[in-house]
Amino acid sequence: MSPPTPSSPRSEITDAPAAPPATPATPTETPAFEVKNLSIWYGQKQAINNISINIPAQTVTAIIGPSGCGKSTFLRCLNRMHELVPKTRIEGQILFQGENLYRPDADPAMARRRIGMVFQKSNPFPTMSIEENVLVGLRLNGVRDRHILNERLEKSLRMAALWDEVKNDLKKPGTSISGGQQQRLCIARAIAVEPEVLLMDEPCSALDPIATARVEELIRELRTRYTIVIVTHNMQQASRVSDKTAFLYVGELIEYGETAQIFSSPRERKTEDYITGRFG
Amino acid sequence: MPGHILRDFDRALDSLRADALMMASLTDRNLQNSMTCLLDRDAAICAVAISDEAEIDALEKKIDRDGVEILRRFHPVASDLRQVVSTMKIGGNLERIADQAVKIARRARKLPLEPELDEATVLGPMFIEAMALFRDSIRAYADADTDLARTLRRRDREIDRMNHDIADNLTARMAEQPDRIPDYLELLFIARHLERVGDHAKNIGEDAVYTAVAEDIRHPNNLLEVA
Repeated sequence: MSPPTPSSPRSEITDAPAAPPATPATPTETPAFEVKNLSIWYGQKQAINNISINIPAQTVTAIIGPSGCGKSTFLRCLNRMHELVPKTRIEGQILFQGENLYRPDADPAMARRRIGMVFQKSNPFPTMSIEENVLVGLRLNGVRDRHILNERLEKSLRMAALWDEVKNDLKKPGTSISGGQQQRLCIARAIAVEPEVLLMDEPCSALDPIATARVEELIRELRTRYTIVIVTHNMQQASRVSDKTAFLYVGELIEYGETAQIFSSPRERKTEDYITGRFG
Repeated sequence: MPGHILRDFDRALDSLRADALMMASLTDRNLQNSMTCLLDRDAAICAVAISDEAEIDALEKKIDRDGVEILRRFHPVASDLRQVVSTMKIGGNLERIADQAVKIARRARKLPLEPELDEATVLGPMFIEAMALFRDSIRAYADADTDLARTLRRRDREIDRMNHDIADNLTARMAEQPDRIPDYLELLFIARHLERVGDHAKNIGEDAVYTAVAEDIRHPNNLLEVA
């Protein structure tokens, strides 16, 4: 996750231990995101074409599709990260927990705090220790209480299934651990600020199979607390970790449904041809 | 449907399907031979029907081995996955049909040549119907003909009814000719084997539907869903 910018409103921050995200009565009762007629342009080039989709809370939703189909663009617009690219234009609406993510008075930094992101390449801050990496978001948000920081440090590392491996090396540089551990460190950093959603952009593409398995196991565990949206090129991974799958092709949503249905009996011919390896 | 980008995948799927159709062809010959064995009382054909089982068993093992290899190597999904899983199941059903054919040939061989039993009259129509059902099940699989496949359940019930009628008929004959009870029992068992051929053919039809349209048409009256 990108650390919240200093412009994040301090009024939202308290030193009280944050409660875990509220649990809806059933995971799919209220969509975390309601995307309505979303279109996105980079300059003249249209990257997303009129996509409407509801992403349920506390589920893992996989976004699949060939390179250039708009997967990452779609993911990034869920926490307004795409706005960091110049000449971006957006049409349509994204409701996050019923509220317009793009309303004029909405703070992008706050959106990014509530909707965290894990990137393809693990990116711990190189000058920071493991501990500092995990806590950087909290510190930027003004949390100073050592007790709270320690508590959140251990909790985040435990949730990222990394605590046992690094608890004696917390002062070592974040870049001193393996690639798989670094990616889990980035997940710990993302969840330390207690977001409600985790967006993951190919989080395992640079990892070996064992590290990938650990991250996938982590995704399955985290889904009980967080809404997770994951972009992946690995269709076996999408099949393993996700509850819902959306297939994008040249900026359009071709099919969206239960992962088991998509990978056993897709309704659309394009989906079938893509997931069975007939084009892409 | 266009081919896979990975052409080895196409070749592996084509080969698996070809093996299943070859196995079906051998099973067809085996059933035909067992019918000739029974109805024409040809001992040489009986021996052929019995010895053909080995090749069919070997093909079943090959289909399973190649199917697992495709799962391991290509991680098929959607229609490819259904094709692999169904073809492996069809291989199992074909092997069991061939088993029934061999059992028929073994029993037929035991029947005395003289005095001749009236088995052609009793079992002939059931044999013809079971053969037709089997051939249509293979046609449904080969041509992805779901309409044809969906007729097989009803036709299997007809074979079940024929089996009951034959059992009644043979039981009556046993009462009339107690000295020939062992022979009539062989015929009773042969009818039972043919009834099982119908069951397996119906199963193949169900797998043909699943392969083509991902619909599970088994046990239509059982509404229980197990999570």
